[in-house]
Order: sequence, then structure tokens, then C-alpha cells
Amino acid sequence: MEHYLILARSVTYAQRMQKALGRTGIRSQIFRAPRDLTDLGCAYAVKLTAGDLSAALTVLHKDGLDPVQIFLYQRGLYREVSP
Amino acid sequence: MIYFDSAATTFQKPPEVAAAMWDALASMSSPGRGGYPAAVRAADMSFQCRSELAELFGLSNPEQVVFTLNATHALNLAIKSLVPPGGRAVISGYEHNAVTRPLAALRARVEIAAGPLFQPEAVLSAFERLIVPGVDAVICSHVSNVFGFVQPIEEIASLCRSRKVPLIVDASQSAGVLPLDMKALGAAFIGMPGHKGLYGPQGTGVLLCGEGVPVRTLLEGGTGSLSIQQEMPEFLPDRLEAGTHNVPGIAGLLAGVRYVKRRGLEKILDRERRLTHQAAEGLSRIPGVKVYALPGLPHQAGVLSLTAEGADVESLGMALAERGVAARAGVHCAPLAHRTAGTLDSGTLRLSFSDFNKKEEISRLFPVIWGALENRR
Repeated sequence: MEHYLILARSVTYAQRMQKALGRTGIRSQIFRAPRDLTDLGCAYAVKLTAGDLSAALTVLHKDGLDPVQIFLYQRGLYREVSP
Repeated sequence: MIYFDSAATTFQKPPEVAAAMWDALASMSSPGRGGYPAAVRAADMSFQCRSELAELFGLSNPEQVVFTLNATHALNLAIKSLVPPGGRAVISGYEHNAVTRPLAALRARVEIAAGPLFQPEAVLSAFERLIVPGVDAVICSHVSNVFGFVQPIEEIASLCRSRKVPLIVDASQSAGVLPLDMKALGAAFIGMPGHKGLYGPQGTGVLLCGEGVPVRTLLEGGTGSLSIQQEMPEFLPDRLEAGTHNVPGIAGLLAGVRYVKRRGLEKILDRERRLTHQAAEGLSRIPGVKVYALPGLPHQAGVLSLTAEGADVESLGMALAERGVAARAGVHCAPLAHRTAGTLDSGTLRLSFSDFNKKEEISRLFPVIWGALENRR
């Protein structure tokens, strides 16, 4: 199913993102980032449904929680997108 | 046993501390090390603990809350982040070896802002004279672990801010008892144990880190982040948390922090001060006993030291132990504090209280001290 993964620098950062999103009613899940999405090894990501990305980025930016990278999952593949 | 050694460790904990630790052992693995339920539970609990500590100490970002082994570990991280080998530090006259030994290891030039016991104005004047450009850090305990002297930390912090010298606060005796607001103080670091006034288990400590303050590692290793990179991550808390976390300890600490928040700092401080007052009053009536307290206990928290004429404090401590009273005698790992107060040669017998002590226990202490002193005279 189509979704976005917002890469976070650490599990704690991902948790802060999830908390900030939760406060504004945006549902998200924390995931281990797929290995081929990260050059530097273990990372965590916040998973969002496709329709929530724009609102989510506004909330995260307001809280100073800018993502490392954003990926769109479509037809079985991840593709990096710009914020 | 009557336990009066809470300045070392609070022995009586809220029952939910042990329950939380047991639950963690039974259901949690390691935070940041996997996406399976046991790892997620550990990560959620750890984040909750960071968040509640951040809220209690006036931080908005839980990433600035670093878990350590104890206050000594936290203070070592803070000191070694700010004071380079051969650097300059100004410290109070009541610091613990957790501050003075790392400075000695760094061969730092240390100046001591000493003032007499329970005279915060004198302490502040001493800091005022010594905080000058070129000082790498000011380090000050909020409350003396030997005498319970509450040092004027807000005023010292204000001085540090105006002179642009970073401040490290040792909150070993004040965390969970006195209000501490990291943002208002503008401190670079605040170090504290988890196992004293926060009622967590031994083996837990916390370092609160100021935003943008450079941090140096003491340990390097796995963090569950940026694993291919061979340098430690630059970001907190990962940079200072190499290796597997003490998850049962953190779970116990969270339960302890929640107890403190539920009870309220004011109520805890009030109880400890009333007990200290009762002890000081009663003990000062025993012939030959010198109690280190001013009438009404201005500037003193729940720690009380005493000496007894003609009695060695270690022997007195042993005599109390034989009679079921746990109290600490000696130099309390704080020779500097004893030197400042003039008790280095004798040491003191220290009584320190927690929210779990009762006034009846203090009443039972007096005949025990009388008896112990009678037998030694």
C-alpha cells in the first residue's frame, strides 16, 4: 500500500516526530528503515499514509524536527522525494 | 532497620519501582535495537522516561536527556566535555570527589569559591571574584552531600550567564527534592543520580545537556544508529549512550520519577526539612554533640551532620548500626566539603532523610545516640 517513510537520525528522534504528529491528530508508526534506504547503517523511520505528508511536514518543521530523507513507497519500490 | 542514609541511596522505594523493573525484565529487550515488540516496548518506555525527566527539569527536548550509570558518570561526561586537560575550573567549597577527581585527572587549574556553611551570600561573593574570562567551566553542587547546605545556584547561574562561562550543576542531593529548571538556569549540564531523590534503582543516573553544548564521549560503541559510520553519532542522546541500556533500571527510574511528580517536590522537601529540624533540635540537646545546622535550618535540605566530643564518628556509626540505625560516618567522599567546614580531621556522622522516613524514627534515634555515646565515654 502506498505510504511515505520519513527517515529519522535515531529512534529517539523518530519518537519525537511521532509524538509531535500525534499531538495534531496525524497517525504514524515507527519502523526500522529498510537497509537499502540508508548509506550509514541502522536507522529508524516514521511511516505515514500518503495523504498526510504535507500536513506532517508542516508540523515537523514547526517543531524543528526536519527529516533526514523522505521516501515514497509505490508499486513495491521506495523512491526518494523532496520535502 | 531505621534508614538514615538517603544521601547515599534512597533504600526505601515506592513499590511500583520494583514492579516496573520486573515488568521490564519480563517484557522488554533493548531500545533502538529492533522493530519487534520487545524492542519497541523498551524504546517506548525509555522515551517516556526521557520525556518525563525533561518535563520535570524544564527541558523541551527529550533528546537532551542522557541516561548514565550514576551521577559520577554524568559529571565526568560534563566536566570532560568542557574542561580540557590543563584547563581552568571554578568550583564551590562543597564539591564531591565526583567533581574534584575528574578535575585532578585532567590536571586542571582549580579555584575554589568557598564560603562558610549556610552562608550563601559568602559563597556567591567568592564565585563573583573567581568567575573571569578564560574559565572553562564553573561546577557547583546544588546541595552539599555532607551538610545539606543549599547553595545559591540560581544566583551562581545568573553570574555564569552574564560572564558567559558554562555552568555544570551537580544535583545529586537536590534532584527530586528542590525545583531545578535547566532552561531558567541556562546551565550547560546538570548531572544527577537516579537512585537518590528520584527513587530509581542503583545503576541509574541522568545527564541533562544544554542545547548546542559540545559533548565529548567517554565510551564509544554501538548505538543502534549510523552503524556503518565508525565515529560516534554527533547527535544526542546516542553520542553519549554507547552500548546496551539498563532497561530495567530505566523502567524503575520512570516509576520513581512518577512517584516524585505525584507527591510533589514541595511535600517531599517539607517532610525532609521537618525531619531534619526534629533531628537537629533533639541531637543538639545531647551533651557533647555538635550539630551542623543553624536554628530554623535556613539554606539546608534533608541532610544533617554531627560530631560528638570524645567519640570517633566511625565508631559511633558502627554503634548505631549495631542498634539498627543505618547512618554514614566519615568523609563521605567529599574531603573538600570537610576542609571548607573545618571537619576534615574528625569527619562527621551524617543523617540523611527521604520521603519514607517518619518522625517516630527520629524520636527513636535519640536514645540510641545517647546510649552509643555513654558506652564510649
